Amino acid sequence: MNSYYAANLLVYAGVDIIACISLNLVFGVSGIVNFSFIVFQAVGAYTAAVLSLPPDSANGGFQIYFGGYQLPFPIPWIGGAVAGGLLAIPVGLVVLRKLRADYQAIALLVLSVIANLVITNARPFLNGAAGLALVPPPLSDQIDPNTQGYQIFYVGITAVCVVIVFVVANRIVNSPYGRSLRAMRERELAAAAIGKNPVQMKMTIFIVGGVIAGLSGAILVGFIQLWAPSVWLYPETIILFAAIIVGGRGNNIGAILGALLVPVGFEEVTRFIPTSIGPPGLIPALQWVAIGLLIIGFLWFRPDGVRPEPRHVFEGAPVRDDA
Amino acid sequence: MPAEIATLATTDRPMLVATDVHRHFEGLHAVDGVSIEVPHGKITGLIGPNGAGKSTFMAVLAGTLPATGGKIVFDGSDITKAPTYQRARRGLVRTFQLPSEFARLTVLENLLVAAQDNRGDTLFGALMGKRYWIADERRLVEQARALLSRFGMSAKESDYAGNMSGGQKRLIEIMRALMLRPRLLLLDEPMSGVHPKIVLEIQHYLQDLRAEGLTILMVEHELHMVERLCDTVVVMAQGKVIGSGTMASLRRQREIVDAYLVG
Repeated sequence: MNSYYAANLLVYAGVDIIACISLNLVFGVSGIVNFSFIVFQAVGAYTAAVLSLPPDSANGGFQIYFGGYQLPFPIPWIGGAVAGGLLAIPVGLVVLRKLRADYQAIALLVLSVIANLVITNARPFLNGAAGLALVPPPLSDQIDPNTQGYQIFYVGITAVCVVIVFVVANRIVNSPYGRSLRAMRERELAAAAIGKNPVQMKMTIFIVGGVIAGLSGAILVGFIQLWAPSVWLYPETIILFAAIIVGGRGNNIGAILGALLVPVGFEEVTRFIPTSIGPPGLIPALQWVAIGLLIIGFLWFRPDGVRPEPRHVFEGAPVRDDA
Repeated sequence: MPAEIATLATTDRPMLVATDVHRHFEGLHAVDGVSIEVPHGKITGLIGPNGAGKSTFMAVLAGTLPATGGKIVFDGSDITKAPTYQRARRGLVRTFQLPSEFARLTVLENLLVAAQDNRGDTLFGALMGKRYWIADERRLVEQARALLSRFGMSAKESDYAGNMSGGQKRLIEIMRALMLRPRLLLLDEPMSGVHPKIVLEIQHYLQDLRAEGLTILMVEHELHMVERLCDTVVVMAQGKVIGSGTMASLRRQREIVDAYLVG
C-alpha cells in the first residue's frame, strides 16, 4: 500500500465521518429525513473552490466560474462551512415549516435532483458538467502538495476537523437540548404541547448540519482538487443514510462506525472485485444493489444498528429489573 | 368581554374564558360557537356523546388546532392566535387522548424534557458544555424524581417510556405536564384504557393537585368519575354547549339526559 493511497483513504474516511456525524444530528437525532444532504456538501466544496481558485481567466481560461478570489487557507474551508449553513436557511424555511415529515423527505430529494441539473446545465456559473479542476490545495504556495509530508499534513488537518466536529456533536447530543431534539423526533405534536418550538429547533439543527456538511465538502475538494456535478448525484446521500442506519441512528460513535463500514469499507472492498466479470457496468450496479440490501437487511434484522442510541441512565438511578 | 374581565378581582377572574369558539372542517362544524369559563382552582368536567366536539375543542384551547372563529382568553391575555408551544410556556398544558409518550426516551427523560428552565436546553447552552448546565440538570432530576416517587414510578425511571403499560403512559403524561408547572391542565380522557386500580390512583392525584391550587379542565366519559371529581360540568353535543352546572343539577335536566344517552 503506497502512502498516497493511505492518505487518500484516511482523508476520505475523515470526510465521510464528518458527513455522517452531520447527517446523524439532522436525521438520527432530530428525525429530519434530509435526502438533499449531498447538496450541502457540494455547496461547501464549490464555495471552497471558488474562494481558493484564481480568477477564471487564469490557466488559459479553459474553465469558467464566478469568483476566483485566491484567498489563503483556512478562509476557503470556513467559507465552505458558512455556505452550507446559509443554504440551510432558505431550504429549511421552505421545507421544514409547513410540510409533513414524509413530504419533507420528498421535497428534499427533488431539491437534490434539481440542484444537480441546474449546476450541470448553467455552465457560466460553476463550469457546468465538466466541473472545476485545479483547485489549489490549502497552503500549496508554501508546501509542495506532491510530497509525502503534505499528505501527512492534510490527514492531520482533516483529523483536527473530525475531532472538533465530534466534540461539538457530542455536546449537542448529550445535552438537554439534544434531549429536546430527540423528543421532537419521537412526537412533534407532544413536544409542542410541552413548550418546544419544533420549527425553530428543526431550523437550528438543519443549519448546524449544513455547516458541518459544508466543511466536509471543503475538506474533500482541497484534497481531490476538482469538483463536478457527477460526484454529488443524489444516490451519494443514500450511501450516507445506509451508513447511519448500519452504524446506529442517534449515536455519534455509530455514525463514525457507519462511515468506516459503508462509504469507506464497503466501497473500498468492492473496488478490488475484478471488473472483467460479466458485462461492463455490472460490478458498480451490483454495488448499488448491495447498498440497498444492506439498508433493508439492517432495518429488518437490526434496526438500531451496530451501535444503538444509548439509553440515558442518570446518576443514582435505581437498578432496573432486567439489568 | 375584556372590559368585564378587567373589572373582576384577579383571584375571581376565571382561569380561561372561551367566547363563541368555532372550529370548522370544510363544512363540518366540529366546534360550533362554544363559550365556557373555567374557574380558578377547580376541576371542570367536559362531557358529551362521541362526536360532540370535546376533543376538538380541547385541541383548539391548546392550540394544536387553530380556531376558525371566536376568542380564547387565558388568565387575562388573549391567546387565540398563539401557537401551542407559547400556550404551554404560559402554563396552559394539555395531555392527549391517545398515549403520546416519547417512546425512545426513558421515563425520567420524558419528565426532564418538559422542564422550561434548563440552561442546557438551547444550542448555545449545549455547546458551552456540561459544566454550564449540570446544576440545572441536577435540580430538575431531583424535581422529576420527586414526581416519580409521588406517582409510584421511581423504579421505572431508566426504562424506555415506549415499553410502559397504557396506564403508566397516562401517568408519565400527567407527570410530564406537571414538570411545566402548569396553571391550567387540559386532560383529554386521562382514564381511558387504564386499569381500574390506576384509575383510582389518578383520581386521588387529581384531587391532590386541585387541593394544591391547580386548575383542571378534563374530558371524561365515566360519569361516576365526573361526579366524584368535577366541581362543575359542561355538556357538549353536536359542537355546542347544551348545559352546565353540577353533575347533580344536570341529571335533573331531561334534555341533557336525552342528548347524552340517546345522542
